[in-house]
Amino acid sequence: MQLYELGVREIAEGIREKKFSALEVFDECLHRTLACEGKMSALITTTADAGRAHARRVDEQIAKGGALGLLAGVPVILKDNICTHGIRTTAGSRILGRWAPPYSATVWELLSSAGAVLLGKSNMDEFAMGNTCGTSAFGPTANPWDVSRVPGGSSGGSAASVAAGYVPFALGSDTGGSIRQPASYCGIYGLKPTYGLVSRYGLIAYGSSLDQIGPFARSVEDMDLLMHVLARHDPKDSTSVDKSEIDFTRREKSRQPEKPLKGKRVALVKEFRDFTLDPPIADAMKRLIRIFEETGADIVEVSLPTVARYAVACYYAIAASEAHTNLARFDGVRYGYTVTTASDLKDMFEEVRSKGFGAEVKSRIIAGTCLTEPVRSEEYYVAATRVRTLIAEEFRKAFENVDCILQPVTPSLPAKIGEADEDAMKGYESDLYTLPVNMAGLPGFSFCTGYSQSGLPVGLQLVGPRWSDKNLLDMGFELEKILGTPKIAQRGN
Amino acid sequence: MPDKTGAGGALAFTPVIGIEIHIQLKTKSKVFCSCSADYTNDEPNSHICPVCMGLPGSMPVLNKTVVQQGMLAGMALNCTVQPTTYFFRKSYYYPDLPKGYQITQSDLPIAANGWLDIKDDAGNPKRIRINRLHLEEDVGKLHHSAADGRLEGAESSWVDYNRSGLPLAEIVSEPDVSSAYEAVEYVTMLRRRVRYVGASDVDLEKGMMRFDANVSVKCSDGRWGRRVEVKNMNSFRALERAIEYEIKRQSKILADGGEVLQETRHWNDVKGTTTASRVKEFYRKFIVEPDLPPLVVLPQWVEEVRATLPEMPNEKALRYVREMGLSEIDAAVLTDSIDVARYFEACVAAGANPLRAGNWVRTEVLRAVNDRQIGVKDLAVKPDALAELIRRIDDGRLSTTGAKNVFEVMLEGSSLSLDEAVRKSGAVEGGVGADALENLVRATFAANPDVIEEIRSGKDTKGKKIKFLQGLVMRETKGQARPDEVVAAIETLLKSE
Amino acid sequence: MGREVWLMKLGNDDVRAIAAEARLSLTDGELAGAVRYINNFLDMVDRFKELDLKNVEPFCFAETNECPLREDLPAVFARSDEILADRADSTGSFFRVPRIMEE
Repeated sequence: MQLYELGVREIAEGIREKKFSALEVFDECLHRTLACEGKMSALITTTADAGRAHARRVDEQIAKGGALGLLAGVPVILKDNICTHGIRTTAGSRILGRWAPPYSATVWELLSSAGAVLLGKSNMDEFAMGNTCGTSAFGPTANPWDVSRVPGGSSGGSAASVAAGYVPFALGSDTGGSIRQPASYCGIYGLKPTYGLVSRYGLIAYGSSLDQIGPFARSVEDMDLLMHVLARHDPKDSTSVDKSEIDFTRREKSRQPEKPLKGKRVALVKEFRDFTLDPPIADAMKRLIRIFEETGADIVEVSLPTVARYAVACYYAIAASEAHTNLARFDGVRYGYTVTTASDLKDMFEEVRSKGFGAEVKSRIIAGTCLTEPVRSEEYYVAATRVRTLIAEEFRKAFENVDCILQPVTPSLPAKIGEADEDAMKGYESDLYTLPVNMAGLPGFSFCTGYSQSGLPVGLQLVGPRWSDKNLLDMGFELEKILGTPKIAQRGN
Repeated sequence: MPDKTGAGGALAFTPVIGIEIHIQLKTKSKVFCSCSADYTNDEPNSHICPVCMGLPGSMPVLNKTVVQQGMLAGMALNCTVQPTTYFFRKSYYYPDLPKGYQITQSDLPIAANGWLDIKDDAGNPKRIRINRLHLEEDVGKLHHSAADGRLEGAESSWVDYNRSGLPLAEIVSEPDVSSAYEAVEYVTMLRRRVRYVGASDVDLEKGMMRFDANVSVKCSDGRWGRRVEVKNMNSFRALERAIEYEIKRQSKILADGGEVLQETRHWNDVKGTTTASRVKEFYRKFIVEPDLPPLVVLPQWVEEVRATLPEMPNEKALRYVREMGLSEIDAAVLTDSIDVARYFEACVAAGANPLRAGNWVRTEVLRAVNDRQIGVKDLAVKPDALAELIRRIDDGRLSTTGAKNVFEVMLEGSSLSLDEAVRKSGAVEGGVGADALENLVRATFAANPDVIEEIRSGKDTKGKKIKFLQGLVMRETKGQARPDEVVAAIETLLKSE
Repeated sequence: MGREVWLMKLGNDDVRAIAAEARLSLTDGELAGAVRYINNFLDMVDRFKELDLKNVEPFCFAETNECPLREDLPAVFARSDEILADRADSTGSFFRVPRIMEE
């Protein structure tokens, strides 16, 4: 077994037990990365030198016998909308093409103080607006299971790099499915935590009331470990909630090992029955229902009519309204892309923003501007916030009687690169399975069920009530025993 | 039909004015980040961080003291503190606004439904209702001159973000103000009360208080002019002049049969005019600030803050008149600033006669404070020392003039005891002895027989001649004698001879 | 063509004006795309009109937690020089913008 194939815990333990050094791990991962990047383009920035220096410091610490963090020497890749002090952070946009933040996101502070070593910053849809990685100003990323296909998005680079074995884990952000969908497309685990569980400080915002940072990994045990490090209350994020009572490292032993999920109430959404799914995804749903039944879970039905009909519109209205304010700061005055030739302020702002932003971002800014204009705000923006109340309420009621919802992540397997939907709204409809979760601030766990005949991974997700992240991972742990651990994709190299 | 001839007198115009005031709340750090709020004399852009610079990914964290100061200011204006309030993003593009939106409570404010009672132009009481006081952040400062100070031909403007993120309270009145005079009355009283509670230093020269006015005019023939927002007034005088100008301008338009446009106008203090804003009014839109959950103020906190409220100036002044027998004017002067009022009250508490203490504080103390450009708290003469000084005048140990000399000496050296100061000033304690005084008066009588004759013949009906004699005696005693004792001695001798 | 144009809520000029409010200038190609996008978008969100929202509170936060408050303790951000280093024009300690005519 190669070092790059090891998981988070195995690497951390191996380094601690001096089976191998942090530098050896880093160099192997870097080697793997460089071997694949030609075909995949998963990274915007590779931090080889800084990473090697950091890995060496970890090794020195081990030699000295000093105290080690939980992730000492474990290489990581961060989505490029997570601020890293002194390291270029672009959000996939030309407007931040050369921006090196003077500060670090809280999640990066947490990881690096636990000893994680940065290998690179991953490609993403520009400002996280997209679900293919295709809106990145740095070009598309390929799916490591089939390089002609998209890895999903917007955290496509992070998902693809974990799937291809660049690193044992990565961070992404999920505003409407941007962790769960690429995790599913790339055949790994991805968790969109409950809103407020992981600090957003230093995450370049898209839709602030929807955004949440979460991990990608290739085993549920690794996900536990990462959530243990990441789920910390942060006084710098006023929406961060202290949930230190949740212990992600402790797993309850099932009393009946042969029926580990006994008594769990797993719901299917009645309204989703009528929507068509690609056959491999429909098959996976059937298979999972059978597995749940066989392991003692009760399969029940919940009805989410408002979600099914209004969530997509509601989501895009709120996301665009918040996004246009979050992106108003990019005017070329203080940082980022700028022009020095403009003779007048309006010209300067227009030139900076028109050249700095890509088409999808501009469209969403215009939509957000339009919906929140004083004459339309009540009709659209405020109405959307009211619809959101109905959606959150519908979920709350549904979860009174069930532990989680089992549902697809996407209706179809990853599309070919460049085969974007002509009608953007149609692309948006395919987000129906992911974005309601963000509307209500719920946790969503995307997991790999296996592979289609064409060799593409097939994922599904579990959605739970707020703060049930740990329960979802516990169920995922049982499922991993049955479904097998996700494999490393070999077509990217 | 409107009177287009402008034949004077026929039409009357009633101004309707609402005032919006921004005050900088007194805190140590900015409203949403920990950068220092005190940047006076510091380098431009030396108090900046990711939050107040709006760097991507940064997030606001609300300063507790801002909430507290907002509550205090609201209470000073008779507002009700609201238990749950929200923050919004108010969007517009301008380089002094780092995030492209301002975080503001807007119309879901920390305090609402207040009022202030002022006097109208005729001196009658009038209530100005206050719609709300809401919290928000300040923007950066733009400098329009060239880096070398050149104004003309400069190609650039320059932004300093030290002010960005300072805590502001915006206080919005109802359109109850009817004249420039009332406007100044209102803002004067508002400023005094806000300063009383310590919510803001409201230093106008430092830009801690800024005014906008919404002015419209109603014509006696039933026509209304549209509302005009006048911006950019940074002093009471500017507010007064701008409103006067605007009332005249709008009245003339209506008198000429024209229409007043709804617009934003800028006050130009140098030219003394308002001009229509060249740029269209900023495009302002609101969404809920998703980075800040609702601000909840529990009743217990409100009561804790309320308990710290001092007695307010109006109530204080009434008490001074009622309990101490001060004149209304003196009481108003003494209560204008809480520090002065506290100084005065400490003097009285230390045993000084309230009337004399009021006089001393109103004249000598305020003069000393103004001459030295210091706060009354920093005055070398502490209230108990002044009280002792006043007591010595009262019991005749010091003349007024002598006491003033002692006061001057004490101002220079705070370490001196009162007795040391008396010695150093050369004042003779105990004034002039009764015998010595009688001798002096006799000598003066002898030197001015014609004057004595005039008085005795009853020609000095206004007492001028007695004053003249008093002056001579005072001069002889080098001011050490007590004036009332001198007069008494003169009158005694006049009667006895 | 007529029918489609009639059904559109916002035409080229409207969208250009909204773009200008957002400080974006669009090429003709971008404009056509943006017009299609925004009209589809409005069609999508028009669904809200099916709902009776009169008595529904606007949703603001996933958790109705209270705004945390920070103690009023000033602290210096140690890397303000790095913020200044991002300026295109680094003369003096100001940020430069094109001349704004004073109002």
